[in-house]
Amino acid sequence: MSPQILIVDDEEPILSAVREYFEPLGYGVDCARELEEAEALLAHVRYALLIADLRLTGSQSAEGLELVRFVRERSPWTRTILLTGFGSLEVETEAMGRGVDAFLQKPQPLARLAAVAEELLRISP
Amino acid sequence: MTATGNGRLWDRIFEPGALSTVFQPILEIRGGARAVFAVEALTRGPRGTNIERSDILFEYVRRKRGEARVDRLAIAAALQEARALPGLPGLCLNVHASTLEQDRTLPCWLCELAEQSAIPGERLIIEIVEHAPPWSGRNFLDSLDRLRDLGMRIALDDVGLGQSNYRMILDCRPDLLKIDRHFVAGAGRDDDRRAVLESIAGLARRLGGRAVAEGIEDEEDLAASAAAGIDLFQGFLLARPQSGLRMREADEALARETAELPQPL
Repeated sequence: MSPQILIVDDEEPILSAVREYFEPLGYGVDCARELEEAEALLAHVRYALLIADLRLTGSQSAEGLELVRFVRERSPWTRTILLTGFGSLEVETEAMGRGVDAFLQKPQPLARLAAVAEELLRISP
Repeated sequence: MTATGNGRLWDRIFEPGALSTVFQPILEIRGGARAVFAVEALTRGPRGTNIERSDILFEYVRRKRGEARVDRLAIAAALQEARALPGLPGLCLNVHASTLEQDRTLPCWLCELAEQSAIPGERLIIEIVEHAPPWSGRNFLDSLDRLRDLGMRIALDDVGLGQSNYRMILDCRPDLLKIDRHFVAGAGRDDDRRAVLESIAGLARRLGGRAVAEGIEDEEDLAASAAAGIDLFQGFLLARPQSGLRMREADEALARETAELPQPL
């Protein structure tokens, strides 16, 4: 059975690009655009991997951190990658403290994202 | 942004016809006799979205804190669809406990809507679902009393899990205790699960209600549930959820077959 991935971003072109890249690699891909939608999916679907943008509603938001916390509490088998175009050491430290598996700056080549995803799923418990 | 937000997905829920309803029978089985005791209305979210599935839809709605608004919408859709169901016995309508706490006019609204749909209140079973306290405010208990005064019965969903606990049972005094599938699945091969089923079935009887075993998916679990003293069952083994149209077609086909049978002299 193909690993199921959830991608969360508020930008439709990014969702489409990541989906189109990952599906031919053999992943099942779901896309969500907001925090509550992603949490509802994570509560009822077993995802191998979550790829989430840090900010979903504006320049001061940090829903990605909320999702990492949610996954650690409710879906501990799910690996997590957090993406951000506004990275800072502070945010990265907080994400690591919440248990994120990988923290990547945007923009990031899709091939690099796929390589990180593959590595995480390879060592997945 | 408010708690209920204005996201595009949220708005789609409120587009005309976005919510649809399917019905899953609850069967009463005693000895060899089977009869439909009630049907549960199950709401589907907007087609082609991530929230089409009922469990994901309501998880999303709860996270948006929009239970009261969407419960009304789902009930209206269910009653609209159910009005044409043949020989409707009982109709289970899911309502969040928090909705009954917040929405004090819901019992009267529901009664009026049922009348418009030509469904007597006595046929309605209000199935309480809850996932977060507080539920037991004065309004919640008053709403239960009003629903009962209007002739409706009360069911408690997911008994054994989360907030469907002993306190909730005492608060609701349900006519039906719907045992969560977690305790039913595998009961045929698990003595401990059977003990839980027997315990809840006994409690239901003691309180003047009845237990329903949810999630029946194989004959072993059906037999184990029956042996535990349960005679109401719901699950894929017995009947899958189906649209009102499919239920009507099945009923009409049965009527045609019956009419074609040789009549006794």
